[in-house]
This record gives sequence, structure tokens and C-alpha cells, in this order.
Amino acid sequence: MTTTTRSLARARKGVGPGGASGPAGTARKQSTLSRQTGRTFAFLILPSVLLLLLINGYPLIYAGIQALHNGNLLDTGAFVGLDNFSSVLSSEPFWKAARFTLVFTLVGVFGSWLIGLALALVLRTKIPANGLFKVLLLLPWVVPIVVSSTAWNWLTATPTSPVPALFNALGLGTPLFLADPTLAAITVCLFKVWISFPFMMMMISSALASVDNTVYEASSMDGASKWQQFTQITLPLISRSTYISWILMTIFCVNDFPTIYLLTGGGPVDATTSLVVLAYRMVFQNFQTGPGVAIAFLMTMTLVIVSVVLYRQIRKSSTE
Amino acid sequence: MSTVLHTHQAAPAAATGGPAKSRSAVADAGNRGRWWRFTLILAVTAVVLIPIMVTVALAFTPGANSTATGGFTLENFSTVFEKTLVGTWLQNSLITTLTTVLVSVAVAAPAGYVLSRGRGKLVSGYSLLLFVIQSLPIITSVVPLFILFAGMGLVDNLVGITIIYVGSTMSVATWMMAAYFDSIPISLEEASWIDGCSVFGSFTRVVLRNSLPGILSTAIFSFLLAWNDYLVAVVFLRSNETFTLPMGVQTFFQQNATDWGSVMAVALVMMIPPVLVFAGLNKYFSVGGIGGSLAGQ
Repeated sequence: MTTTTRSLARARKGVGPGGASGPAGTARKQSTLSRQTGRTFAFLILPSVLLLLLINGYPLIYAGIQALHNGNLLDTGAFVGLDNFSSVLSSEPFWKAARFTLVFTLVGVFGSWLIGLALALVLRTKIPANGLFKVLLLLPWVVPIVVSSTAWNWLTATPTSPVPALFNALGLGTPLFLADPTLAAITVCLFKVWISFPFMMMMISSALASVDNTVYEASSMDGASKWQQFTQITLPLISRSTYISWILMTIFCVNDFPTIYLLTGGGPVDATTSLVVLAYRMVFQNFQTGPGVAIAFLMTMTLVIVSVVLYRQIRKSSTE
Repeated sequence: MSTVLHTHQAAPAAATGGPAKSRSAVADAGNRGRWWRFTLILAVTAVVLIPIMVTVALAFTPGANSTATGGFTLENFSTVFEKTLVGTWLQNSLITTLTTVLVSVAVAAPAGYVLSRGRGKLVSGYSLLLFVIQSLPIITSVVPLFILFAGMGLVDNLVGITIIYVGSTMSVATWMMAAYFDSIPISLEEASWIDGCSVFGSFTRVVLRNSLPGILSTAIFSFLLAWNDYLVAVVFLRSNETFTLPMGVQTFFQQNATDWGSVMAVALVMMIPPVLVFAGLNKYFSVGGIGGSLAGQ
């Protein structure tokens, strides 16, 4: 927790060679040192600023321009004002994709949180090979999505794949996990939960690691039930980590491309097309750069606003 | 917090009434609970790891027209290395990923130092800017960069995707480095300034020298991001010779009948480096980069 407080209050704390730190040194010496410091700092941060301008600044401005034109990848095209935005906002595929993105994000965030929390709580207790399980359970997060999506495909895609075959053997019919619109949406969400729960598990585990066990012993002697301990001790203690992990996972889910695209390609009949997949398809498959970029731009603006607000909140909570 | 403190203080009074005779019964129940939880977590882990075990198993399983006897073969690997460009893809992936790691640490470390030690509106503004940037969808940058890079001959080019990887690791990498530098006491640098060291000199000779764990965490983050990327590769790489492994794996799905043995052999090749990095440097692994920096240890 102290690291957090420090890192977030970092920007406002006056520590550092440029800071007015104590009465040491004459005024003259101080000012030459801080001028030299300022130059060194500028020099140290410059490469990072240039890269950000190239990879994030320039494209964002250019995307803003493209969103106002009806061009393609080769030509900027004619200026059409806000037409792209109005056509996107009034189109059925956009709202369908927005709805799926919402469902995907909600299931991704809370599904992985619940599983991650349960596993973190069990792994916190003394069980054999505790450390080994912690490492093994992180693998879904470490293994490339290209690899895991291939395995999920093999397991579920066709009626003769192992998982549908198992359902069949149990007398539950032969579900088409990636061909039926509803089932495909469920499968993609489950895949996302499978990838993401280790992240939640690790965030919660490290928050729990700082909790003193005597708190639990004391409260159980005091007659608190397991459930009371969970709701009144555990949850409040990990609330900050939980909050941050929800925010980050929301961002990961909204921006996710490979999880969806590699498993279903956005289909069947667009049932698993998220906003990012829709934008990608519009630009690189239908060559409608304007509307595609307009979607990406709408997402970007939403995320900028959301993340600025959340950043303020996190900073506020860290200084309390 | 107040609840916790309250129960903690109230505990000793309740403890005196605890009957001693039930202690062994409690230990028994604890033991049983312990094994019950062990079985539960074993089952969960087994189910969770099915896709990974499937990948490994299929990579070593003989294909339909294989001459191998028994259930185990290395044939899939020899086939893919002979008949596909998997060697080239592996090399491409390694080159782009390692370059990304080196450059992003080299750029993020000094920037992180400024964020950690600097003050004022510019520095805090930059910190906010980095946080906002890490939340943006890469797709927004990809389209304009595609147009820009097309004019510069950087499409279908490993240099092009490496630049984008470095740029997209930058915000989180800088945050991670800054968070690590925060944990290094400034007194170390102050001592070196008194000895006549410049700010830059004390950064490289004092701070960096003590930052190996932070550098490793940042490097692992950049490694995984570049190694696992699919979106940038699918947009920018066009030909077999420039493909990285994620694109290489996908080429198998363009055929009519997927040869699963070959796919999984390539998939396994792609899975090994991140798993090795993770196994070897587990201690420095921080999930979600910025998540670790934000939530603290």
C-alpha cells in the first residue's frame, strides 16, 4: 500500500533533485543545480515524449481528421463533417456491437473477479503444494491468446470436437459452441474469463498478503461467522485492489481484439462482434475508413473521459 | 478498517473462555478442510489447464497419415520445420520482441526516473497522459499508422511493427519504472551529488544499478506484449517471410482440413518462450503491469 500511495502522490510530492529540499546549499548553488536538473530531466524524458507523439499523438489527430472524411486507406477523401458519426450512431450493427461489448465486458470483469477471488481465498489457506498451484493457475494469462484460442477451437468448434462429444455422451445433445449465435457469445465470454481470472487472482492475492492473520483469529474468537469475516474484513481490506482491477479489466475487455477475433471472427451472424472487431472489419475488410475510425474515435473519447475521472478518484483515494 | 480494529481489541476477552478440550477436534476439522480444499483446487487446476495440456499432447500425437508407431512422435515438429517457414517466424518473433524489450526499457527507465523524482504541473500532467494512453484501443492508432508507414515502406516490415510495439509498451513501462524508482531512497542520490556526481551520472550509476527487479518486471511486461500481439501483426504483416509466430499459427487455418498436429507443434513453439520467462523470472512477474504499480505490493 505504501508503494501505491507513493507512486500516485509521486507527481505532487516535492522530492527530487529539483525540489526545494531543506536548507542545504546557498541560493546560487541551488539554482544552478536545479537548472542543470531541469535540462537533464528534459533530456531523459525526451525519447519517451517523441515516441508517444509518433505512436499515439499523431495517429489520434489523424484519426480525428479521417473520421470527418469519407476516404479509404489510400485517400483521405472528401470532407463530410459529422456524417460518419451520425451514420454510425444510427446503424444497427453499431448498437449490436455495443451491446455485445457491454455483455462481454460485464461477464469478463465480474466472472473473472469472482473466480479469481475464490481461488485467491482458497490459496491463502494452508494447503499442500500451494505455491505450485499459484504458478500453474497463472498460465492462462501467460500463454499467448493465439495458442489458447487454437486449443479452445479444437475443443469446441465442430460437432465431433471433445466438448460437444462429451455433452452428447451425457445425453445433452450436440451443442454447436461456435456456430450457434447465443452459444458462441457465451463461449467467447467464458474464454475471456478463462484468460483473465489469473490477473484477478494475483491482484487479490497480493492485497490479501498484507492482511494480518490475527485479525481473523481474533474475530472468530469474537464469534464472527466465516461469512461475516468475508464481508466485514476481507472485502473492505481488498476494496482498493478490487476497484483498480475492475477498472483495468474493463479497459482490457473493451479494447480486446484477439480473444474474440481468433475464436469466432466476430460471427456467427455478427453475434460476437464487439466494437473493436467492427471497427477493424470496416477499415480492413470493407475499406470504409471513415465510419471505422469514427467508431474507434467514439470508443477513444469515452475511454479518455472515463480514465481521467477514474485516475482522479484513484489518486484521491490513495492520499486519504 | 474500524471493524477490524474493533474486533481485534475485543478478542482477548473472548479468548479466555475458549474450551481446551475441543482443540484436537478443531485440528481434525482443519485437517479435513485442508484436504478438501486441496482436492477442490486440484480439480479446478486440472480443468483450467485442459486447453494447455491439449496443445502439448496434440503436438506430440502422430497425424492421420503418420508412420509413427505408438502415441508419441516428434514428426509434427520435423514436418513444420521442413515444410513451413516456422524457423523464420520464430526468428522474426524473437527479433521484434527482444528489440522491443531493449528499446522500451531504455526509453522508459529515464522517463520513469523523471516521473518519480520530478515535480510540478508538467510532470503530473505527463503521468496522467500516460494513464489515459494505456486505456486507449490500439485500433485507433493502427489505421493512421498504417497509412503513414505505407508511405515510408514500413508496412510488411519488422521495423514497422517493432516501432509500434515500443510505442504501445511505453506508457505502462514508464509507470512501472517510476513505481520502482519510488521505492529507492533518494538519500542514495543525494550522497552521490555531494560527491560531485551529476544528476545524469547518479541516475545511471546509483539508481539504475539498484533497479534490476524493476527493470526485469518492465522487461517481462514488454516481452509478453510484443510476443503475444496479434492485432498489429495482422494489420501490418502481409507476406509469409515477414510473419511473426502468431500470424504463422493462423496460416494453418486457411487450409481446408486443419492439420492439428502441425498447428499445435507451432503453437507449442510459440508457447515455450513466455512460459520459460515466466518460470524463470516468476518473482518479477507483475500482472497487468500498471495494475501492479497502481495496487502496490
